[in-house]
Amino acid sequence: MEVVQILHMNKGNGEASYAQNSKVQNKIFAIAKPILEKALLELLGSNRLMAMESMGIADLGCSSGPNTLLLISEIMDVIHAQLSSGQLHPSWSSMEFRVFLNDLFSNDFNTVFMTLPAFYNKLREDDRYRRLFGANPNLFISAVPGSFYGRLFARKSLHFVHSSSSLHWLSQVPPSLESKAGTALNKGKIYISKSSPQCVLDAYSLQFHEDFLMFLKSRAEEIVGGGRMVLSFMGRPTLDPTTEQSCYHWELLALALMSMVSDGLVEEEKVDSFNAPYYAPCAEELKSELQKDGSFIMDRLEAFEIDWDGGGDVVDDQANIVNGFDHDQMVAISGKRVAKTIRAVVESMIEAHFGIEIMDDLFQRYTELVTNHLSKRRTKYINLVISLIRRD
Amino acid sequence: MEVVQVLHMKNGDGETSYARNSTVQKKTISFAKPIIEKAVLEILGSTIMGIESMGIADLGCSSGPNTFLLVSHIMDVIHAKFSTVTELRVFLNDLFSNDFNSIFMSLPAFYDKLNKQDYNNGRDPEQHVINPLISAVPGSFYGPLFPRKSMHFVHSSFSLHWLSQVPDGLNNKGKIYMSKSSPQCVLDAYSMQFQKGFAVFLRSRAQEIVDGGRMVLSFMGRPSSDPTADQGTFYQYELLAQALMAMVSKGLIKEEKVDSFNLPHYAPCAEELNLVLQKEGSFIKEHLEAFEVDWDIGGADLDHNMPNGTFDDDQTITSNGQQMANSIRAVVESMLESHFGKEIMDDVFQKYAELVSRHLTNSTTTPKYTVWVISLVKKN
Repeated sequence: MEVVQILHMNKGNGEASYAQNSKVQNKIFAIAKPILEKALLELLGSNRLMAMESMGIADLGCSSGPNTLLLISEIMDVIHAQLSSGQLHPSWSSMEFRVFLNDLFSNDFNTVFMTLPAFYNKLREDDRYRRLFGANPNLFISAVPGSFYGRLFARKSLHFVHSSSSLHWLSQVPPSLESKAGTALNKGKIYISKSSPQCVLDAYSLQFHEDFLMFLKSRAEEIVGGGRMVLSFMGRPTLDPTTEQSCYHWELLALALMSMVSDGLVEEEKVDSFNAPYYAPCAEELKSELQKDGSFIMDRLEAFEIDWDGGGDVVDDQANIVNGFDHDQMVAISGKRVAKTIRAVVESMIEAHFGIEIMDDLFQRYTELVTNHLSKRRTKYINLVISLIRRD
Repeated sequence: MEVVQVLHMKNGDGETSYARNSTVQKKTISFAKPIIEKAVLEILGSTIMGIESMGIADLGCSSGPNTFLLVSHIMDVIHAKFSTVTELRVFLNDLFSNDFNSIFMSLPAFYDKLNKQDYNNGRDPEQHVINPLISAVPGSFYGPLFPRKSMHFVHSSFSLHWLSQVPDGLNNKGKIYMSKSSPQCVLDAYSMQFQKGFAVFLRSRAQEIVDGGRMVLSFMGRPSSDPTADQGTFYQYELLAQALMAMVSKGLIKEEKVDSFNLPHYAPCAEELNLVLQKEGSFIKEHLEAFEVDWDIGGADLDHNMPNGTFDDDQTITSNGQQMANSIRAVVESMLESHFGKEIMDDVFQKYAELVSRHLTNSTTTPKYTVWVISLVKKN
């Protein structure tokens, strides 16, 4: 499976789209905001950027939908606050912002672009921005399609790089797992599992190390000395890669597929030969690659727990209680939400491998398995947020 | 009609898509190729500039087979001669509803082709192979698109005849563009709108292009000052207006709808171009040339031999006529649809194909567009 060409979040604005099913990712962005703001403030305060220059900002894995312009909105807000409170020199109002939205080739950029006129209008009509930037905020938004495992931007052109909910995607399925010889190494599973042989764990870990190192090397050439990078992605709390927090949503998807195998709807070989191009690293793995690359200082590394359905303020527990939903019903609502969120994310890859016909049935089964699991245990994702400074 | 949000070439690769109906645009790029090459070589050869990271932009890139032609040409030029360039930043611009997704989907194949391309034959041995960094910039070129002094070469083909808006307050009954019967105020309004827009275009680019940087622009024009003297330059829209009025006669469209519709299009003459260039003053005109390009009738000669013998009724559609109608449909459908509704489109373009077929059959030679190619240098 050519990940770089296939992987994309579900397009458009329909019921199964990423746009309608990305509240978890939105929550993840919100949780990381304080770290993002701190990094941005430190960058602004460091005098790395003199006024009359242009500031390069990149969002890697921007996807499409309501989350896509969150970063630039947040950055504009912070800068406005700094200008208003006199922390930034007034000549900053002529700063030009080069904003690069990156994602893979099949990302739905058309939908992102269609929302830009309204976004620009909102900025232009916002009094705060008008006072700051005049008639035309000097905001130049462009899309850069391609894999972030490699060079995307001009040398030393970026001051602030952000990536959310993207770096757990590998550049490819670990090659040794794509064995064409016939002996599948990860039978009946689609990711690391407690039953996976060590060679599967090693293959995944190796692929992550290669990819993350390539990522760091590429960004090192593109980010100026003193520039900042804030990365947020799925991880795990311990060295053991088979922990439930990092694997179980895949485990349940594998179970759903295997139940379709039992019912003769999917070939077992198909499941054996599918493995997710995904990896949830631990802090040690990150630090090891950071050290190897050597271009970045680690400023902060934090881990956050997040419910599979995004948690309390996403699923409005209060409203549900008022509506008279009992625990079972709320778990069912949660299970549905989780399944839809996962579907919006993995459908492109599942379709490429298994075909579109099985999709509805598969996610029906998945919903049941998730709901059943959540009624027993509220497993949480671990999301890592790391804040880096490019060395001089 | 919010041109900036509505105007886009027809998506996909169906029979009436832009991808399948853009041979005139492709021919234009061919005409402009030597002019582009000369401009790029001048930039590369300029010792004053000594560029390491070169910025190039294509304004109105659309989507389809023509989209990567410019980048390919420039890559060829860069590799043929040693220069200080080590990095190429490429910006593809078009309006917000352009089909950028399909451009991006064809990038992997384009990069593959570049990788496999043997630059060794044409390549200066000292010049390293450069991989372009390609990005898309949505937005109107009637205004800023890029940071100050970030571009060395700007190109635009077959886009600057699109105005940023329909001229205000047009009283152009039964017509959708300038016509022999249009009142003088309509002709003046169109001319003013073009001049205003072109001046904004030049001023915006002047901020973005480095001193000594260059621009090569190709777009529809006309040889005479009189906007209705050269049939090939406006009659394609005269026939479209007639098709719409035929729908009015059949009661399928309200006459008011046609009266209130005008295309945001303008084919300027040399005098208008020179006037704006001089007044705006940021660019030196190095080269201005007019090319004639046949209307898109399908590559073969005008077919005066009808499939069934004689051209005996107004409803015959020749293959020439159909091709011409498709090529216009690919370009204007988004705007017509926005004003008249999707349902009537097939009928309109069927009638249009009939009218074009008749017009072509009655023409001794294929009508021709006039295309300007202009090469500019940014003043210090």
